[in-house]
Amino acid sequence: MQKSFIAQNPSVLWFLACLGVFTLGVTILSEATGTGVISTSFVKTLGKVLCLCLVAIAMDVVWGYCGILSLGHFAFFGIGGYAVGMWLMYARTEAIVIENLASRTIPPTPVEVNEAIATQIFGVVGSSDFPLIWAFSHSLTLQMLLVVLVPGLLALVFGWLAFRARVTGVYLSILTQAMTLALALYLFQNDSGLRGNNGLSGLQNIPGFEAVPQSVISMGFFWASALALALGYVMFARVLSGKMGSVIRAIRDDEPRVRFLGYHVESYKLFIFTLTAVVAGIAGALYYPQAGIINPAEIVPIASIYLAVWVAIGGRGRLYGAVIGTAFVSLLSSWFTGGGAPAVDLGFYTIQWTEWWLVLLGTSFVAVTLFFPGGIGRVFDKFARKSS
Amino acid sequence: MIRILTFALALLCLPVALFAQDLQSLLQTHQKVVAKPSRKSVGPVLDALVNSGLPQVPGFLEQWQGKALYVRKEDGVFFYTSKGSEGLTLIDISSGETSATVDAKTMKQVKPNGGVRKAIGAALVQFQLSDPNIERRRKAVESISQKLDASQIAPLKASVAGEKDAALKLRKERLTGYLTARFGTDSAARVAAIEALNNDLSVQGRAVLSQILEAELVAAETVPDANLAEVVTPGSSALSREAAYEILVTKHGFPPRVSDNDIRLALEANVEGGKAGGVPVVQLDDLQKRELAYDTLAARGLVQTRVSDADLDRAFGEWGFYQTYLEDDTAVTAAAREVQKTIQTKVSLNQAADLGLDAISLASIYFLAAVGLAITFGVMGVINMAHGEFIMLGAYTGYVVQQFITNYTLSLVVALPLAFAVTFAAGVAMERLVIRWLYNRPLETLLATFGISVALQQLAKNIFGTQARPLTSPGWLDGAWIINDVVQISYIRIAIFVLALLFLGLLLFILNKTRLGLEVRAVTQNPRMAASMGINPDKIKMMTFGLGSGIAGIAGVAIGLFAKVTSEIGSDYIVQSFMTVVVGGVGNVWGTLAGATMIGVFQKGVEWMNPSNTLAAQTYMILFIILFIQFRPKGIIALKGRAAGD
Repeated sequence: MQKSFIAQNPSVLWFLACLGVFTLGVTILSEATGTGVISTSFVKTLGKVLCLCLVAIAMDVVWGYCGILSLGHFAFFGIGGYAVGMWLMYARTEAIVIENLASRTIPPTPVEVNEAIATQIFGVVGSSDFPLIWAFSHSLTLQMLLVVLVPGLLALVFGWLAFRARVTGVYLSILTQAMTLALALYLFQNDSGLRGNNGLSGLQNIPGFEAVPQSVISMGFFWASALALALGYVMFARVLSGKMGSVIRAIRDDEPRVRFLGYHVESYKLFIFTLTAVVAGIAGALYYPQAGIINPAEIVPIASIYLAVWVAIGGRGRLYGAVIGTAFVSLLSSWFTGGGAPAVDLGFYTIQWTEWWLVLLGTSFVAVTLFFPGGIGRVFDKFARKSS
Repeated sequence: MIRILTFALALLCLPVALFAQDLQSLLQTHQKVVAKPSRKSVGPVLDALVNSGLPQVPGFLEQWQGKALYVRKEDGVFFYTSKGSEGLTLIDISSGETSATVDAKTMKQVKPNGGVRKAIGAALVQFQLSDPNIERRRKAVESISQKLDASQIAPLKASVAGEKDAALKLRKERLTGYLTARFGTDSAARVAAIEALNNDLSVQGRAVLSQILEAELVAAETVPDANLAEVVTPGSSALSREAAYEILVTKHGFPPRVSDNDIRLALEANVEGGKAGGVPVVQLDDLQKRELAYDTLAARGLVQTRVSDADLDRAFGEWGFYQTYLEDDTAVTAAAREVQKTIQTKVSLNQAADLGLDAISLASIYFLAAVGLAITFGVMGVINMAHGEFIMLGAYTGYVVQQFITNYTLSLVVALPLAFAVTFAAGVAMERLVIRWLYNRPLETLLATFGISVALQQLAKNIFGTQARPLTSPGWLDGAWIINDVVQISYIRIAIFVLALLFLGLLLFILNKTRLGLEVRAVTQNPRMAASMGINPDKIKMMTFGLGSGIAGIAGVAIGLFAKVTSEIGSDYIVQSFMTVVVGGVGNVWGTLAGATMIGVFQKGVEWMNPSNTLAAQTYMILFIILFIQFRPKGIIALKGRAAGD
């Protein structure tokens, strides 16, 4: 008899349990809802890490399970952030502008309000008109749709072109990297309509919730991120189990053979590529309101490569590996670069970790690739196998 | 114009003037002006001095300009002076002989202000034009060319015949041509001068033409009696309706248009009892209601009536708009127009040539940056993300060498092989320690080399700091090869082009003519068969990787010469390098060349269409490459048969 989904994937339950305990723990210890041991800014950091974990499991699915080393998933993440950022920025500026114009003797016309908002937002790049891509920015619903649609469509078109031409392996990686670079360079221009290298800012202020303190808002985003991660994990585990999952793993292991068996490989790859891009977009939409600012520097190709690094360190081909790797490396990274790590005095030279962290990361990453291809996740493999 | 005429007249009676007076008496006739010159009054005096033809005049003008002229208070006679121990020693102006020494209090220094000194300088130019010292002549010509002025035609023309320096003579003749074209009195002479500009691509020559063709936009009810350039219709791309009406408003007293903002201000000023123009204030958040209210106010005579589009149409029906040349002579403007057209064609042809040179130079940079990668990636199938850092390593090697060897030429000669050696060693070390273990896992090679790239980049930052380090090129590489005023290319870029050619030749030689090349090709095609023929594949792979990395080091020195050396210098080129290799076709030096050329030409082409935006050029280039891969997934020059692998 066919075993149930949960019975087949005991790690899903374990993961959900761990995530639940973690969320509960943070809730109890936070400033807004508990004792206040964890500061608001740290809650934000943890919420951001959860979003990064979400994009990392998407990366793991596309790379670890399907064998496509995409160096463009952080671009989809950024697009999601931009899409939600546009609404946040528009709505907040609108509130400010209406308040300013209220003091006039004559009530403002819609055109005047619109012009004032445009001047406020685009004054920094020397423009006072709304570009075409801001057409939906007044509506949260439409922008939320864009969070899903833009990365999805971009991935669909790009993937269709690339997979159809049978671009595989490192060529595909280079091509996705080129796509990411093109997007970043485009956004760096002042006339891109997204404020050039200034990016979108003030995203931590949620319109309509001005009276709510940041500590509460950050908890809200933390819960939302945890929920999104849980849903994403379950969804991907579901997609990857059963026959479909087997085909996807088979594509990774030997693409021509799967093709000869009669499967339409391109459709499977396109499906996975697009689905993960959409999830990356959603993760970005949750991440950037917590970060408060988004600019093109966030989505340059190197960010996507770091994403691959996290997954590799966590151990690819296991969803929990991606989560562990991302949480471990990004928290460690903020500990080292934030000056939390004590300097090491060698007598003739003092190692400041803010300067040497990247050297350590780079070399240890090489070591992981060479000596522990399974990554950290491998430690948990035995555990997962025993329980099943 | 009058000044030229008087000058010409004066030239005619030169011999008479010579005998007529000496300098001092001439100065005395204008005593007041000379002693206290003002910008307005100094002109006639200068003319008189110049026209006198006295040999001492240039010297006098210089002294006057240099505030070295003194006037004796009691009788107003002018002297030069030299400072002695007991006061001022007077020097006679006409003869230059020293006379008495007097108390400084009896003398007064003549201090012309800036404007006057400028006027004196302008008068001096004609003497300097035939000065025996070539530097002074050159300076005088430059000062004329900076500000073309009608008064300079005659002196310039006069000095051409006596000019011995060929280059300067040519320059003088050109300038005379410009001046005649712009300010000449004779129509035929001007047309001839303008037509002579036909082959002149210089900015100044083009400026002269556009100054002759300077036009003014006027509105008139009937066609104006002037040198008409063209009739402009309002609402066309040359003249918007708003701009056309603005001319009528400013020049012909039409009522100005009322903007939406004016309406708002007017309504705000006329709010009475919660209403403005009969409309309740709360309803005024609508533009149509606002206009309605404003019209009510206008009907009451409180504000100016709105100018409607129909009013504009009516005005444009009665008034025409004309571009009229400031120059009255139709023959001159027609000739200038004709010449301008031919020059524009020539200029755009030359710009295309210039662009071609730029594209070639960019292509050679990409080629240099990518050819090392083409070997490691193409021949060995290994993605080396640290390739950019090898470029950086080479550039820093060049910088460090310059710290020890201060002769830039020598340091370059040392740096090039040293950079090769350093990056060769780094490449071999990396191959031995890391890549060797990952040959059958290409994606992991990519990530492992990325780790190395991150570590190396940060290491460079820790050692050399984040600020840019200069890699100075030797003096003989400064400057540019100027073909004409439009086409030019800097020597550094030529040197890089030569270097790229050199490497193309060298690589082709190594790969096709040497034992190493033979073995490399054998290992690439079939490692196991090569091994059974007695070739050591491990050693060959190591050597190949070292060679590719070493070339990256040399590329680093070359790139460092024109870009500042920073730890990011390599990552700026890495994606483009990958693109070059992929587009060109993997595993082929010719492919890399083709890829580099295509990317270079394409990028420059896009920049030409939109010159302000190099970022956009790169974006479009990458999009183009993504599409290109669709049609030729294996690149421009694809390997066929067994060598293609897969």
